[in-house]
Amino acid sequence: MKKISFCILSLILFLGTSGIAVAQQPPTICAVHPFTGPFAFAGIEGSAAMQDVVDMTNEAGGINGKKILYYWSDGEYKNDVGIAAFKRLYAQYTPQVMFGQSTGMTKALGPEIKSRYKVLYSAYTMTSEAANPKENPYLFIAAPTYAEQFGVLLKYIAKEKPGANIAFFYADHEFGREPIPAGREMAKKMGLNVVAEEVSQVGGVDLTTQILDMKAKKVDYCIFQGFVSNPIATVIKQSKDYGLNAKFMGTFWSTEKQLIKELGPLAGEYVGVSAYSFFYQDDLPMMKKIKEWTKKKFPTIEYRSQAYMQNFLTTLLFVESFKRADKMKGGFTPDNMVQAFQSIKNYDVGGLMPPVTIKDNSIPVGRVYRGNARTMQFDPISDWIRMD
Amino acid sequence: MRCGDFKENYIDDEEIFPSRFVKFWLVLFLIFLITFPFMANAHLLYIANMIGFAVIGAVGLNLLAGFTGQISLGHAAFIGVGAYTSAILVTRYGISFWLSLPLSGLVSALAGMVIGIPSLRVKGLYLCIATLAAQFIFGFTFVHWESMTKGITGIHIPPPAIGGFQFDTEKNFYWITLLFVILGVGYARNLVRSKMGRAFVAIRDRDLAAEIMGINLFRYKLSAFAISSFYAGVAGALWVSFLKVVTPEHFPFMLCIQYLAMVIVGGLGSVIGSIFGAVFMTLIPEILNVLSDMVKSYSPGMGKLIIPFKQVVFGSLIVGFLIFEPRGLAEIWSRIKKFFTLWPFSY
Repeated sequence: MKKISFCILSLILFLGTSGIAVAQQPPTICAVHPFTGPFAFAGIEGSAAMQDVVDMTNEAGGINGKKILYYWSDGEYKNDVGIAAFKRLYAQYTPQVMFGQSTGMTKALGPEIKSRYKVLYSAYTMTSEAANPKENPYLFIAAPTYAEQFGVLLKYIAKEKPGANIAFFYADHEFGREPIPAGREMAKKMGLNVVAEEVSQVGGVDLTTQILDMKAKKVDYCIFQGFVSNPIATVIKQSKDYGLNAKFMGTFWSTEKQLIKELGPLAGEYVGVSAYSFFYQDDLPMMKKIKEWTKKKFPTIEYRSQAYMQNFLTTLLFVESFKRADKMKGGFTPDNMVQAFQSIKNYDVGGLMPPVTIKDNSIPVGRVYRGNARTMQFDPISDWIRMD
Repeated sequence: MRCGDFKENYIDDEEIFPSRFVKFWLVLFLIFLITFPFMANAHLLYIANMIGFAVIGAVGLNLLAGFTGQISLGHAAFIGVGAYTSAILVTRYGISFWLSLPLSGLVSALAGMVIGIPSLRVKGLYLCIATLAAQFIFGFTFVHWESMTKGITGIHIPPPAIGGFQFDTEKNFYWITLLFVILGVGYARNLVRSKMGRAFVAIRDRDLAAEIMGINLFRYKLSAFAISSFYAGVAGALWVSFLKVVTPEHFPFMLCIQYLAMVIVGGLGSVIGSIFGAVFMTLIPEILNVLSDMVKSYSPGMGKLIIPFKQVVFGSLIVGFLIFEPRGLAEIWSRIKKFFTLWPFSY
């Protein structure tokens, strides 16, 4: 009798737990942020942004009543640590959506995400490899690629001074070199002359050779890629000493308040492209919302960077994909998540960007800003430019 | 428990597994290694594979730095040479992984021999700087020789296969890693008790006296560089075949420092020290990550403080080990074994 009762109890428990196992996995986001290491300035802001969007969404009812679960780990901006964290988070939580810390990690995991993990994935990267839906439908970037950002700047230059002499000044690593071949082709198509290509280490201080080379080649515009602040600030300051009268421009990661602070009175010399509006653009509904939230939850924080905006927008897109996939048959399956994401068209993000339409798993839109030495902010000097 | 185990001749003294007690525990350990993939998840298997690659690389570096006394700051470069050789042979020339692996080792060995030539003239810190040149030369080549290496884009590598069976998951690749770790460690352990191994040690301890005794410094120093670089090349080829991608970013200068730290913390001049060092340097950061995640989940606001603190903890552990046991983890292990050799009759 005892044996039979035990068997029945075991059967009930087994069926019960099987039932639990079969029930849909709640909407789960996992992320590997570079919370320490050289990219920590982005990781700290990015992890905060993701948490804020998750908290805002959950406070408003979640995904049709289901609370979003969010877990993250520090990747130290090292590939092997980041990949280990990715695998650990996936093994523990089986998320439908993941966020990575770098271009290197994205490239390393791309084939496995496609064949094995099948999670909707984005990262702190704007590499073209992450915006190739034919090769990998699960990877996307919530911004224009670096090549598209170059395109935005070159379009702006072509409009301002047709036939200008351009220099590409880039960092000697993957992040720096990635858009250069595409940049050369686009410049040629727009009738611009790439007369110089200067390379430097991040944080380089002795840039005399590069500056004099650009001066000798009569460079009109110098576009930086792969740096955050140094040596951009150093080049701009030293160019005044050497009589180089070029205009200086840069892409997303350098178009940050940190650079303006370093430039000081020369902030107006720098023009950059960014995919997002800035925290101090109070007239935008989403910025008002972010400011109110930050004031309520983190009253000591006065500013949110562009890295915050990147993660904020990416998480908004994750949430929107969850909402759309939840209405599909099967719920949060990998195919549904991809379909849901790719179906996003004219999605209003409250001015953070123009209404978002996903194209080839990226958002090929950017805006040109100029630094303002008086306000220590970036002022928009163009409208939103689409690169498709 | 083994007790009062005394050797009566040099041959017995050089035995790698001197008693049945040791052989028993080794067999148990092997059984654990074989059954591990059936118990572990993808994350643990990933860590196990990374430890395996680190062990192979660290054993190679220890043969050069620990046994021969030639400090090298170019180990990451040789790992990169092996990695790229394997990637290019597999993707460009269609050569099987199983053939490309030893070829990668040979190409790295050749590169190592060329870079090792200054060792005939310079020693110590000067040799360090000379080998550092390898890091920068090869790093530059990986980025700029785009026709071969595809520059910063990198090369995507198909997983190794035998017939229709692909080694494309952590579990499947684990068997390859385990095989080459056993082969690599076994060869190194035998090498150090052979004539060549004794020559290496003689060169390390007093190269002038070694030369007077008849040891050909030119031959043995270059051999040390070649063997060390062969190990590095094999480790690199395995690593990138596991990751299925190779880019120049995989081989920064910090990787050289990491490998040097493995052999120093593990114990210079000890094969088992290389294993301990590789396990320590790979596992401890991962354990600290897991612990910091746990603390963060209980106290989210402390994340900003706790997470960077793990770097402090890791650095302190390394410094602590070196202060209390400068000869590394191998020496701690050796003292534990010696204690139990005569236990309980140590008096």
